[in-house]
Amino acid sequence: MAGIFVFSEDSALAGQLLTPALELKKSLSQPVIALTLSEADAQKLAQLGADKVVVLQSAGKWVEGFAEAIYAQVSIAGASVLLVGGTLRGKHVASYVAAKLNAGMTTDAKALRIEGGKLQTTRVLYAGLAVCEEEVALPAVATIRPRTFLPPATAATAGTIETAAAETDTRISVDEVVSTSAEGIDITAANKLVAVGRGFRKKEDLTIAEDLGAVLKAELACTRGVAEDDHWLPIERYIGISGQTVKPELYFAVGLSGQVQHMVGCRESKVIVAVNNDERSPIFEAADYGIVGDLYEVLPLLTAALGK
Amino acid sequence: MPKCLVCYKWTLDEQDIKIKPEDLSLDSSRAKGKISDFDRNAIEEAALLVEKNGGAVDALSYGTPTVKQSLKDCLSRGPEKAYWIADASAESADANVTANVLAAAIRKLGQYDLVLFGEGSSDQFNQQTAARVAALLGLPCLSFVQKMSVEGDVVKATRKLEDCVENVTVKTPVVVSVLSEINKPRIPSLKQVLGAAKKPNEEVKIADLGLKPEDLQPKAVRKSVKGFVMQRKNIIYKETSAAENVAKLKSSLAAEGLC
Repeated sequence: MAGIFVFSEDSALAGQLLTPALELKKSLSQPVIALTLSEADAQKLAQLGADKVVVLQSAGKWVEGFAEAIYAQVSIAGASVLLVGGTLRGKHVASYVAAKLNAGMTTDAKALRIEGGKLQTTRVLYAGLAVCEEEVALPAVATIRPRTFLPPATAATAGTIETAAAETDTRISVDEVVSTSAEGIDITAANKLVAVGRGFRKKEDLTIAEDLGAVLKAELACTRGVAEDDHWLPIERYIGISGQTVKPELYFAVGLSGQVQHMVGCRESKVIVAVNNDERSPIFEAADYGIVGDLYEVLPLLTAALGK
Repeated sequence: MPKCLVCYKWTLDEQDIKIKPEDLSLDSSRAKGKISDFDRNAIEEAALLVEKNGGAVDALSYGTPTVKQSLKDCLSRGPEKAYWIADASAESADANVTANVLAAAIRKLGQYDLVLFGEGSSDQFNQQTAARVAALLGLPCLSFVQKMSVEGDVVKATRKLEDCVENVTVKTPVVVSVLSEINKPRIPSLKQVLGAAKKPNEEVKIADLGLKPEDLQPKAVRKSVKGFVMQRKNIIYKETSAAENVAKLKSSLAAEGLC
């Protein structure tokens, strides 16, 4: 028995996990088995190339409460690799399963391959300051953040679907879940972003960034300080190590200094543009194009020029 | 009156780590130690809980022999006693080893109602330790907690996830990992710093934890660590005329097909 297991409670992310899983299958010659909590996801995952999909069924709905059931599936099969979608819930589940398996785990793996009978992964350290290659003995666990991979193409033959009864953790009772993405905007899906930092003096001034965003057809994003300290923008627009990770075509950074904790969330953008009044600001080292100048002067001019 | 144990990591301050341009290796020779950022929130939360509810806070850290340097800072932040495990294995420890050591130490130290962690360490940010330790100890785990309160043996917490907040209830004993937004760690006063010197600390010998040699062998081994280098065009317009800069940037964006 063996297998390359994938699990994510996030439907899109579950599909994306199959891309590295199918790559690992080429080296390990083991089946890809997707664990899911959703019947609908099961159909999709089978079509995207999972050899087998197991739907875990339980009265419990708390995703983290399925950790023991996922561990049981993985351990009974004698899995080689478990890839888990790197949401916070996913990281909780993956850490639990890794501990029970007595296994190593890479958090937020960017690249994965098998070499020397071990899983080789790449990830960042020190909030993005450094890149680290890790070698994880099998069985190995890795979490993968959303959009690290594109989902695979539909497979020639769809995999099989089974169901399995799951015991969930009943010690924790979930009293209430309040959605915080009320706006329904997913900035990680945006093609262009205008990101604002503390160079703006007050919330009302963000209108000049919105105006630029309008002519560029870009969504507004921000630094941690703008979202968490000033509360000028909702938290889901904040880019950085503990916020969102994005790779748009254009990342237009205005009035932000480009600290590594922020840049790690956007440095895979195709083109980075910066406007900042401090020529020595690290954002210019991270930018393809930049203007040194007062954003209050530059932005309206740029909006006008681009609007022509 | 909860008995709390807060676990923390003594890390290098990443602000002082430089990347050597010749080979992209990291130069941490000037980096000082610090209590990992999010762990300071965990210490603060434990201190606040005890200030409010009574009870007691102990602290526990596993690290290389440099971990001893952390004791005074830790104790000035509220804990009454600090336990420390200094062992060379910490140098290469992965989250599996760290959790094995901490879980064994917690078993030895006795029953705690709450075991607190920061959401991740400022160096590795594995975000694994709390859930791993809970799994090894067979305790429930509340991860990514933004707000919490304790009443008797009932813990109520608000967890903050990507797209929602979740209110949960659990009975102690429980493992908790906290987010940085849960509180603002205190800057210890002179009195607290002086008081820390009088507080007890105790070494927990790794040999006394009943661990097998393989429990201290990392399953995830760091093969290489290199500074991340941005490959960017760095075309910066800095004429005195803003209009001129704007015109140049517009043509650059047009050339990239972005406007």
